[in-house]
Amino acid sequence: MEVDQLQRSFLEYSRLLFHEGFLDGQFSQLQLLQDESNPDFVLEVVSLFFEDSERLLNDLTIALDQQNVDFKKLDAHVHQFKGSSSSIGAQRVKNVCIAFRNLCDEQNAEGCLRCLQQVKQEYLLVKTKLEALLRLEQQIVAAGGAIPMLNEFC
Amino acid sequence: MQMLVVLSLAGLLIPLWIKRVAGIENEVKFIANNINQELLSGVQRTAALFSPINASTINLARMLKSSLGKNDSRHHSKAESMVASTLFQALWTIPNLRQISYIGLDGFLFAYYTDQGDQPYALYSNSTFSSTQNDTKNYTWYIQPVNRDTGKLYGEAIKSAPSAVVNSSWFQEALKSTNGYASVGTGWANSQDLLLLSTAAIDGGSAASSGYSMKSLIDFLIGQTAFYNGSLYLATKDGNVLTQGIPNTRMILADNKVSFQLLGHDGDRDSAVGSITCQSHDAESIDTTLSIRGRKYVINCSPVEIAGLQLVYVLALPHNGLSSLIHKNIRLAFVLLMLMICGMVITTCTFVYMIVEAARREMYLCGALINQMEATQQSERKSMNKSLAFATASHDVRASLAGITGLIEICRSEVSKREPLQSELLTNLLQMEACTRDLLGILNSILDTSKIEAGKMQLEEEEFDIEQLLEDVVDLYHPVGMKKGVDVILDPYDGSITKCSHVRGDRGKLKQILSNLLSNAVKFTSEGHVTIRAWARKSSLENEILASNQENSMSCLCYLLFKSERAYTESEVVNTIQRDPNHMEFVFEVNDTGKGIPKEKQKSVFENYVQVKETTLGLEGTGLGLGIVQSLVRLMGGEIGIVDKEIGKRGTCFRFNVFFFSTCEPHASTHARTTDIEAISSDSFQHSGSIFRIHSPNTEWSQVILFTQSDKRSNILQSFMQRLGIKVHVVKKHEQLSPILKRIKQKLNLSHHSSSRKSEGSSRSDEHTSRASSTRFKEIPLSTLDGMDNILPSLKKPNVWGGTFAFILIVIDTSRGLFREISRAVAEFRMDLNDKCCCRVVWLDRPDMSNTNFQGVDEDKLPASDLVIKKPFHGSRLYETIRLLPEFGGMPPRTGESSHTVGKFNVRNINTLEASTSYVVGNRKPLMGKKILVADDDLIGRKIAEHVVSQLGANIVSCENGEEAWRLVCRNLINDGTNGAGVSKLSIPFDCILMDCQMPMMDGVEATRRIREVEKRYGVHTPIIALTAHDKGEEMKKMIEVGVDDYVTKPLNRDNFLKAISQLIIKT
Repeated sequence: MEVDQLQRSFLEYSRLLFHEGFLDGQFSQLQLLQDESNPDFVLEVVSLFFEDSERLLNDLTIALDQQNVDFKKLDAHVHQFKGSSSSIGAQRVKNVCIAFRNLCDEQNAEGCLRCLQQVKQEYLLVKTKLEALLRLEQQIVAAGGAIPMLNEFC
Repeated sequence: MQMLVVLSLAGLLIPLWIKRVAGIENEVKFIANNINQELLSGVQRTAALFSPINASTINLARMLKSSLGKNDSRHHSKAESMVASTLFQALWTIPNLRQISYIGLDGFLFAYYTDQGDQPYALYSNSTFSSTQNDTKNYTWYIQPVNRDTGKLYGEAIKSAPSAVVNSSWFQEALKSTNGYASVGTGWANSQDLLLLSTAAIDGGSAASSGYSMKSLIDFLIGQTAFYNGSLYLATKDGNVLTQGIPNTRMILADNKVSFQLLGHDGDRDSAVGSITCQSHDAESIDTTLSIRGRKYVINCSPVEIAGLQLVYVLALPHNGLSSLIHKNIRLAFVLLMLMICGMVITTCTFVYMIVEAARREMYLCGALINQMEATQQSERKSMNKSLAFATASHDVRASLAGITGLIEICRSEVSKREPLQSELLTNLLQMEACTRDLLGILNSILDTSKIEAGKMQLEEEEFDIEQLLEDVVDLYHPVGMKKGVDVILDPYDGSITKCSHVRGDRGKLKQILSNLLSNAVKFTSEGHVTIRAWARKSSLENEILASNQENSMSCLCYLLFKSERAYTESEVVNTIQRDPNHMEFVFEVNDTGKGIPKEKQKSVFENYVQVKETTLGLEGTGLGLGIVQSLVRLMGGEIGIVDKEIGKRGTCFRFNVFFFSTCEPHASTHARTTDIEAISSDSFQHSGSIFRIHSPNTEWSQVILFTQSDKRSNILQSFMQRLGIKVHVVKKHEQLSPILKRIKQKLNLSHHSSSRKSEGSSRSDEHTSRASSTRFKEIPLSTLDGMDNILPSLKKPNVWGGTFAFILIVIDTSRGLFREISRAVAEFRMDLNDKCCCRVVWLDRPDMSNTNFQGVDEDKLPASDLVIKKPFHGSRLYETIRLLPEFGGMPPRTGESSHTVGKFNVRNINTLEASTSYVVGNRKPLMGKKILVADDDLIGRKIAEHVVSQLGANIVSCENGEEAWRLVCRNLINDGTNGAGVSKLSIPFDCILMDCQMPMMDGVEATRRIREVEKRYGVHTPIIALTAHDKGEEMKKMIEVGVDDYVTKPLNRDNFLKAISQLIIKT
């Protein structure tokens, strides 16, 4: 009974995340990839993503703090960030990254700063959401239930 | 600014000028004063000139005295002659002398004088007082004219009354003075001229007097001095005025006082003006100013002595005459100067104002322009970004939609499998599917537009059969049209398409264009037909422009004028395509009988999001279709337009041309159209792989009877077949079928039996044919012509089957109804046909009505030689049918031949890819045992890739950048090389490499290039799949250039990867 409820809330929550555009099909792909041989795959990837993102965000902040912003370097960082976020399926972060890259191309330092704030915000948002989702997942696993598959690709 | 400069300049100049002018004025005043003084002294000086007058008189007196002194003066006559000669000499020698006289106190008088005419006269007394003893009665004076040369008296002496000369004051005064005496008086002559008499005493008793004309003296005086508009009055001391100065004034001298009077017009005294006191010249001369008749005069009055005569002269000079003149002139100059300055200032002001105004306007315009440009750039940038975003989003959106479609399909199959009776769910799913399909269509059109706008649309070249494509497209829309009752017809036209059907170009886009136009045509046509027609030609640029713009050459001209740049670049593109000799121009025409497009809307239909309102009511669509079509056509170097239809004909006709690479060498289209039938029929089908007309043509007895769906289709088929040299009868109504068949049979039988080629009962189509062919045989009278006879001269060749053989092909459309009747007619026709005649029937059946038309007639009952064609009768089916004719290689049917060749023409190739994919997917771990290298700098991406690959069963090697990947490949190759020495074929180090494009140290492009380089040495080829974040970007181009086999977009997705890799594995 409890497992059922957990599963239902997990489904609902992930559906919400998809619906609000935090996550996209790529995340479901990740979930699909998780199997018996690698039961913590999603968790691993997501925590990798967190580590990577924090490092990148730090780099970005430093890069933008410079007197003369090296836009090439900045662009490379953003590109990486975009790659990792799209790998994880963090759609909104990815979208901001795309905008960020455009601003880098325009060498618009002010816009970049704004975008950095936005990226940070989006990242924190998606982080909390993902953490909540993963917590749910762990609870389900702990309760001995199977993680329900989310088949709707938004 | 300039104004200030000008004003200050003027302000500086004017005071300078005024100062200078004042100086000049002062100088002038001074000079004028001087002149006045000069004038006065001049008068004095001139007066001094007259002093010799007195001296000469005194000298004369002295001379007379000396000459008379010797003689006694009492000798009257002697003295008289002596005096006379002296006087006469003096008269002629002294200038201005008018009168000279010798007067004795004793009454002796002798004088000469000249009158006005210069005639000298002598005046003399006859005696003295003493001689006559004071007898005054005898004392007389005589006047006698004098010869001017000799001085002799002549003529008659006239008596004249003597006057008391001796007693006159001047005579007495002269006797008294020693220096002579001058006075004013009248002379001896009758005239009242005033004379200046200068008298000098000779001795106590006589005196010599000389008289000068006062007038000439004064004239001399006035003439000697310039008066500068001044006037001179002259008067004797006692008030006798000698000359008046200012006109209409009178001067009166009395007691050293001079008063002036104005005179009226009649000479009356008018009014007194004023009076002044005269002073001597030496005294300080005070100029008195008087105003006479509005003019001011400076009056200068002083005494003067002329030849000893005391006179008073009054000089009236205009007050400030000179200076006032100059003053006036200066004032005029000043006014002129001021006017000039004013004018200058006004001009400058106006000029400055205008310049300022112009500058302001320019500034404003500049500002507006800059704003406008900024806005334009911004909007362009925005639109570009939007388009790019659209283009990038396209893939994802389409993928998800495809997912939905697929899922619905699966659901549908599931539902139909499980609960076949629950039809409601099924229909819902079907509707959903239709909805998604529509959605996909709309989405595709929008995405295409955005792609075109973003400039990402590119042509994909591939070889294809253009004829096949046309047929496919028409087949696709034929059922749609049939549902509405609209016939969709493919017009083979001149067959030029068949000749050049193998082309290289973008098949998909051409299909898209044709589909769009056809679907539009079908959509907007409620009755009638839609014809699609295509032909190939080699054309010049001029032709094309003329063809597309012939109806509005003016707009073409405007276009060239105003958008010449664009037009130029566009035409350049076209040119480059057209110059290539291997490029053929294909012209397509889609002609419908629908509502048509109003003329004024024809231009805008090609614009995006524009729909012709009146016709779109109740019809869906985004209005993007034609815009996309136009863009695609232009992309292929062509142009699309609406062709004007003849008046009275309904519908719209779209025509567009595109350029494809073609290997065939067609005739010029005009040639193909007018050349004789033989040429077309033998050439035109060779390239399509279906060689017609193997045998020498003998259509003598080959006839086709057409009874088809619509008249339009019949006409097209008829004209096509006639072009091939086939005799065609068109049956318009089913009632006609039976009689026509009968007539033909009759003719056939008759002609066969009598070996006559004449057929008497010519049908309507016969007449038509003969009319068409008679243009070539005009010299033959029409009445003698027969359709059968003159189709082709070559018909008379011997038949391969020996003798004459008649072949009749009947094409019947079953949808024309009354199948029973028709089949009966056909059966009848077939019944007792001559054995030399062969008859085949082709039944056209509509796919959607299959079998329903064969009501009651068992298909099996049809003769074995009959064909049933279920698809629309055109294209390859038409050619197949024509090939049934003996002259096109058809064999007479044999009994037992398979009768039904239905569907033979529509074998589809199974997509091998689909099959293979399903094979791979079917396996749980399809990549078992494979070794795959993943090169990705992104940790997460790599992780996922690793996972995906390992899940598929493959062994994985991963690295962080391109350099590592390259090294790995190298190392493995070298190891392999050393291990497997002597083995000619090396195994490849990895079964596949997944290569990210953007990596630090060495990116995917470079790594791939190096790997390919290394591989070349060993003669191997590892499949490399590029991982890209961009969909078909610049990056991808580079990757493909350096030798990537395939690509997968990031993030890596199991399905995408599987698809790509399975394709690759199947390839290898």
